Amino acid sequence: MTFKWIEKPSTRRNFLKGAGGISAGALAGFPMPALSQSSEVTIISDENNADALRILRRIAADFEKQSGTKVVINNMDHEAHKTAIRNYLVAGAPDVCFWFSGNRMRAFVTRGLFDDISDLFEKEKYKDVLGATTGAVTVDGKQYGLPTGGTMWGMFYRKDVFAEHGLTVPATWDEFLAYGQKSKAAGLIPVSMGTKELWPAAGWFDQMNLRINGLDKHFALMNGKMAYTDPVLKPVFDHWEELIKQGFFTPDQTSFGWQEAGAFLAQKKAGMMNLGAFVKATFPEQDLEQLTFAPFPKIDGALDRYEEFSVNSVHIPANAKNKAGAREFLAFFYQPENFGPYLEPGGNVPPRNDLPASKDPLVNAAVESLKTVAGTSQYYDRDTDPDMAQAGLVGFQEFMAKPERRDAILQRLEGTRRRIFKI
Amino acid sequence: MTKLWRRHRWWLTPTLLILPAAVLFSVVILASAVESLWISLHEWDGFSPMVWIGLGNYRELFADPQFYVSLKNNLIWLVMFMLAPPLGLAIALLVNQKIRGMRLLKSLFFIPLVLASVAVGVVFTWVYTPEFGLLALIFRTFGATAPAVLSDENFVTFAVVIAALWPQIAFCMVLYLAGLNNLSEDLIGAGRVDGARGWNMLRHIVLPQLTQVTFIAIAVTVVGALRSFDMVSVMTSGGPFGSSEVLAYQMFEQSIFSYRFGYGAAIASVLFVIMAVFIAWYLTRMIRADERGG
Repeated sequence: MTFKWIEKPSTRRNFLKGAGGISAGALAGFPMPALSQSSEVTIISDENNADALRILRRIAADFEKQSGTKVVINNMDHEAHKTAIRNYLVAGAPDVCFWFSGNRMRAFVTRGLFDDISDLFEKEKYKDVLGATTGAVTVDGKQYGLPTGGTMWGMFYRKDVFAEHGLTVPATWDEFLAYGQKSKAAGLIPVSMGTKELWPAAGWFDQMNLRINGLDKHFALMNGKMAYTDPVLKPVFDHWEELIKQGFFTPDQTSFGWQEAGAFLAQKKAGMMNLGAFVKATFPEQDLEQLTFAPFPKIDGALDRYEEFSVNSVHIPANAKNKAGAREFLAFFYQPENFGPYLEPGGNVPPRNDLPASKDPLVNAAVESLKTVAGTSQYYDRDTDPDMAQAGLVGFQEFMAKPERRDAILQRLEGTRRRIFKI
Repeated sequence: MTKLWRRHRWWLTPTLLILPAAVLFSVVILASAVESLWISLHEWDGFSPMVWIGLGNYRELFADPQFYVSLKNNLIWLVMFMLAPPLGLAIALLVNQKIRGMRLLKSLFFIPLVLASVAVGVVFTWVYTPEFGLLALIFRTFGATAPAVLSDENFVTFAVVIAALWPQIAFCMVLYLAGLNNLSEDLIGAGRVDGARGWNMLRHIVLPQLTQVTFIAIAVTVVGALRSFDMVSVMTSGGPFGSSEVLAYQMFEQSIFSYRFGYGAAIASVLFVIMAVFIAWYLTRMIRADERGG
């Protein structure tokens, strides 16, 4: 018996040795493909527009031919990418990735996850062609990305619907209220709104706050420096409630996504809609020429005009393996003859001022409109802390459905603000 | 070597066979569950260093009105999902008869199980869409206006559960169909000799033989109700304003959208405790019942 007990552990050890050897062999048996890291640039994009993606791939192929550097593009679903980026920036960064400028970029910059590309700005003299848009990718005087397409937000409407019902574009609050009465009398929903995905309600809040309190106070709120219970916000919600009570918005709006709300506009069931030019995705091709936009009506006439202008961007992660190659690619990508066609399909406003006029009249109108704007915010969920944004989006959706709960909602948001900004 | 093998295979064989599953289970389930508990004691946004806050997340959770909304919705899910086993049994009894065309009917009832639950959710969302959804059209033919069920905070959870019940009933039906095929002919014959028919036959002869199946059906249904997530995500994203959120969805929302992995982990831990308690209670009850009557 003793003899056996001595032998058992030894065989167990042998067994373990064998098992260990097998697994080690398995690991060693599959050698990693010997890639020369320096001659490859990997890109993660989040392009939902098939045409834009095709052009991006073509640019990559051209770059490959010219430089001999292999380019690998991994395109992800736009929404999935928003969560994936937090993983891959830390765990396995590509050399180039697409993202959003402003506060969303800053969140990664402050954690040291985006590379400082001020040198590229210097070398290619981007500040000269970008002008004020440089600010969207600047943190503490350094640039961390290149602005790509911009989305200008406004009140979109159909020219033929306005002509048919004798409606005029409202420029002031009173005109807006009158427009609402008239469009309701014509059997239209004055403002198409779908809050199933939450954010459109927050965009509406931004527009009202910019028109009533201006940009500085808006950013004080976004940066957690102003309370949600602050009395300066009262007129914003008063005006908003007035619209809700008068039936300005789509009934049961929480059942509809923005695309369904856009379809109401396209199908001539609604008069206007607050969105970016991407609303054209809900329009049939032959109706596109009817689509146009106007700025959100003025409320406080003494205020300068501030608009929502969200700018996407492209970055080099701090953990990228081939930063030199990434810079070369970005410089190539950003040349007007490559960058211009890439922006065209999405209907985005070009950040470079040396691009030829777009074929899309909506883009050119937005470019013209931007010239008269005193300052821009990006969008509620891009300007404030993401945690705050989630609570705010839900709060605004609830307010639109149940305006009588205003105080409870604002109290709740204020509690969230205090937790997040540690007040 | 063969000698060694022969001497030791009494324990080597089972160990080797169990090892892959055990390793996988402990890494994927156990280790991550423990890590999740650990994370729930921290404030963590997913990539910054974790900050220890002890029970802070749990304190906040128990003061969070949304937590109670989610909990209430989980309860609604649980109660309504309990309809699935009896309805599944009823349909199984119906389609188990040897009548021409039953095979077709059987496969029709089987369909929702084949569909991805996300597809079921999307389809039901369309049905519920105000104004041009199927429900709205049906109401209109009777001259009524359908309520926008997915926009109403009182109806929304019920509407989502109904969508989720459809595949769940089919699942229970399949379980019971399998059970019905294994019924002992002898017992049924004996029952028939003793004059059992109809309800008595079902109650005293058939059902007792289906206890095992019922056990599985209820356990799976409970777990399905508690971990319900996909339907909520697809149909309402927890909306309107959080009124259809369940614990699993709230956990996802807090972790992924609000980047609060600590808080999300705390919700996960609470959900885990609820499930563990229920399953433990149910298992012991079943085992006791088994020992009593078998």
